[in-house]
Amino acid sequence: MTVAAPNRYLASLLAGQPQLPASPLAWFNDLRSHAVDRVGALSVPTTRDEEWRFTDISPLTGIPFHPVRGGSKPDIAQLAEFILTEAGARLVFVDGEYAPLLSFNNTGITVTSLASGLASHGTVIEPHLGRHAEFQSNAFAALNTAFLHDGAIVIAPRNVAVSAPLHVLHVATQKGAASYPRCLVIAEPGSVVTVVEEFVALQNDVYFTDAVTEIVLADGARVHHVRVQRESGQAFHVSNCAISLGRASHYQSVSVALGARISRCNLNVVQTAEGVECAIDGLALVAEQQLADTHTCIDHAQPHGVSRQLHKCIVDGAARAVFNGKILVRQGAQRTDSSQSSRNLLLTSKARVDTKPQLEIFADDVKCAHGATVGQLDSDEVFYLMSRGFPEAAARNLLTYAFGAEVISRIPVASLRHKLEQRVLAQTNSQSVSK
Amino acid sequence: MSTVLQNLVNQPYKHGFVTDIESDVAPKGLNEDTIRLISTKKNEPEWLLEFRLKAYQKWLTMEEPVWPNVHYPKIDFQAISYYSAPKPKKTLASMDEVDPELLKTFEKLGVPMNERAKLAGVAVDVIFDSVSVATTYKAKLAEVGIIFCSISEAVHQHPDLIKQYLGSVVPVGDNYYAALNSAVFTDGSFCYIPKGVKCPMDLSTYFRINTQESGQFERTLIVAEAGASVSYLEGCTAPKFDTNQLHAAVVELVALDNADIKYSTVQNWYAGDEKGVGGIYNFVTKRGLCKGVSSRISWTQVETGSAITWKYPSCVLRGDNSVGEFYSVALTNHYQQADTGTKMMHIGKNTRSTIVSKGISAGHSNNSYRGLVRIAPSATGARNHSQCDSMLIGDQCGANTFPYIQVSNPGAQVEHEASTSKIGEDQLFYFAQRGIGAEEAISMIINGFCKDVFQQLPMEFAVEATKLLGLKLEGSVG
Repeated sequence: MTVAAPNRYLASLLAGQPQLPASPLAWFNDLRSHAVDRVGALSVPTTRDEEWRFTDISPLTGIPFHPVRGGSKPDIAQLAEFILTEAGARLVFVDGEYAPLLSFNNTGITVTSLASGLASHGTVIEPHLGRHAEFQSNAFAALNTAFLHDGAIVIAPRNVAVSAPLHVLHVATQKGAASYPRCLVIAEPGSVVTVVEEFVALQNDVYFTDAVTEIVLADGARVHHVRVQRESGQAFHVSNCAISLGRASHYQSVSVALGARISRCNLNVVQTAEGVECAIDGLALVAEQQLADTHTCIDHAQPHGVSRQLHKCIVDGAARAVFNGKILVRQGAQRTDSSQSSRNLLLTSKARVDTKPQLEIFADDVKCAHGATVGQLDSDEVFYLMSRGFPEAAARNLLTYAFGAEVISRIPVASLRHKLEQRVLAQTNSQSVSK
Repeated sequence: MSTVLQNLVNQPYKHGFVTDIESDVAPKGLNEDTIRLISTKKNEPEWLLEFRLKAYQKWLTMEEPVWPNVHYPKIDFQAISYYSAPKPKKTLASMDEVDPELLKTFEKLGVPMNERAKLAGVAVDVIFDSVSVATTYKAKLAEVGIIFCSISEAVHQHPDLIKQYLGSVVPVGDNYYAALNSAVFTDGSFCYIPKGVKCPMDLSTYFRINTQESGQFERTLIVAEAGASVSYLEGCTAPKFDTNQLHAAVVELVALDNADIKYSTVQNWYAGDEKGVGGIYNFVTKRGLCKGVSSRISWTQVETGSAITWKYPSCVLRGDNSVGEFYSVALTNHYQQADTGTKMMHIGKNTRSTIVSKGISAGHSNNSYRGLVRIAPSATGARNHSQCDSMLIGDQCGANTFPYIQVSNPGAQVEHEASTSKIGEDQLFYFAQRGIGAEEAISMIINGFCKDVFQQLPMEFAVEATKLLGLKLEGSVG
């Protein structure tokens, strides 16, 4: 393979871009054409790049993905298993295209597609869309931005609290398609909102999802953000989340990665003002030949910030999990209190974990700690359960489930929590049978 | 920051003098001729010249690494002299024949070179710029079969051992600076402990850079045969120059079955002035191979000097049940930069490793811990525990932690923890309440912070390190 190949690959993905209709908004067209330029200048990262050192994305470049071709939309019955009963609003995107017939909004706040959001709230969206998810050097964010034409827009107005979760469901249906889901959440001062982003597939196909999510919290806003990635086992999933936190805001996120052959999630949180609190939790449950890579960065740019992070990986089969968690405390960000924990469970001898919790600290009056563990199930714990009459397989299962449930239990939506718990149980069960 | 603490830190560098001694310096620049010149000067056998040339060819194809978290202008490798030896160079029959200027230099540095002054009871090999000038206690060590001499001497007298082990742990093309060192290394220490022998005294090498435009490229090789054990100490100083000098050493340790090697370093190269001008670039490759079963290699380092430190003393744990240890205190002040840590490669079954790293940053310095723990699929039952603590003194400095953990065996247990703290007002208040002044309190807190590491140092070194740390930090806390 020549060095130039990755670059040509991006160009091939860009082939469908010129057919996108131009928007009446000049800034929007500028944003997109700027991203097209960046895609032209960047190349697909390789394992020579420190950021991608443990994730070899080259299998992706071997497959010629095409832009989504309009096909038939699934009906609501096909999506039955993905429905959240508590949801106050639902936006469904089929291969990145908004499906109005499958969507609804009972909340009274703006939960809509990008097109209608731009028409009604263009001036609110302009300062944020494409401004937080950096695409100067990030090829996948640039690619998504170049294809920007549809997406989810959530705008929570000042001092409005919405208790029902907002469900943004991305469904993949086309084999060989590349889709570019996009989501922008603007939480105005004092608002409270819960957003559930979910990536699912209707069948077990090869496809490529390149998602970008931007969430902006103004002063005193509170956002609960849940991301569930259960793409097909053949899929490639790359997502970039950029979170910007205003003064005294509160951001809590839980990401669960279950699917995809190769998945990569970048989560960048910037504390732009004082007194911010954030809690970021993640669970990756992978088996067979899967690879799940999570890169997070919490940037304490201002004083008095608090952050807490728990990331867990359960690795079965010949799967691989990668975690890189960076905590950056900038000069002047005094009184920062940050803790991070990476816990990894290896279930087989072929499983592999690469973890790198990372601290970069440039202020002296701070409290920062991180920890990482890698190991297998504790034989004493297995023995304890067996002494109480559990067969060994059941005992191991229960412990594996409990390990993962700690993260799932932090999801604020009961029906989703229940579904994921069932999924984790089912997965660990099937694996213990196949062993 | 209180003035008390401010004053505490800024003590001048005590070893910054230059010895006026006539030196035989090779012309600047690096090419095959330079390497041939070094080889001829040292009267080396053909195979060693080949080793050097192979490394040089490899080096030409390599690129300077950019991943460390340190910043410095590009080094001009053609502006360095690769050989500098004090004149007159003749075979020394005893210590009495050593140039009195040299003796004085080391006297000043507190290194015992005079065998009759048996106070220290430590055998020392002294390296001045590019060559080994003296080795003490040779005869006494020879009685039990221990070989302790300069590496150039070993090349002639024990060529089989050198051929067998040189480059076996750090191959010539291992990394950019190791390749450079393999091409141009001039001297260093060689130590061989035969089967079953416990070395009766601590062995020590003292390195001194004296010439302004030379680099120091020394090579240390220690081999401990089955059941042998040795404790080895290394100390370094350099004069104050306002240019930067390059120090690119390679240290290789080989431990066979049940052997035990303990390697301690107190590194106090000139660190540059308070504006960050001058100082040594300390780019060093140190690696130990636990080749035999139940062997043990322990690295202890106190890094206080150098403008830039870039080193990762590592252990390759190949033998089953072998043990690797790394204890480190890295202190940076003013504009010093340190990117240091360790690599623990677990290959054998039930291998164990411990990492304790303490970083202290003050002034405008930047201190990074970078470590790798890799558990190979074969390393069933491997165990690692890492602990990295940082302390920041002042709000202009940085402390970073980059631990890489790669596990491919479910039977392994790996734990890593790190924390960052500062000297709290309440801690100082507590001391003040008990009548202990700020300076003394800080010194006690820092010593407590580094205790886990200092406990691993041999007695005299521990005392020296404690003092050194106190001096380095004088005036920086508050």
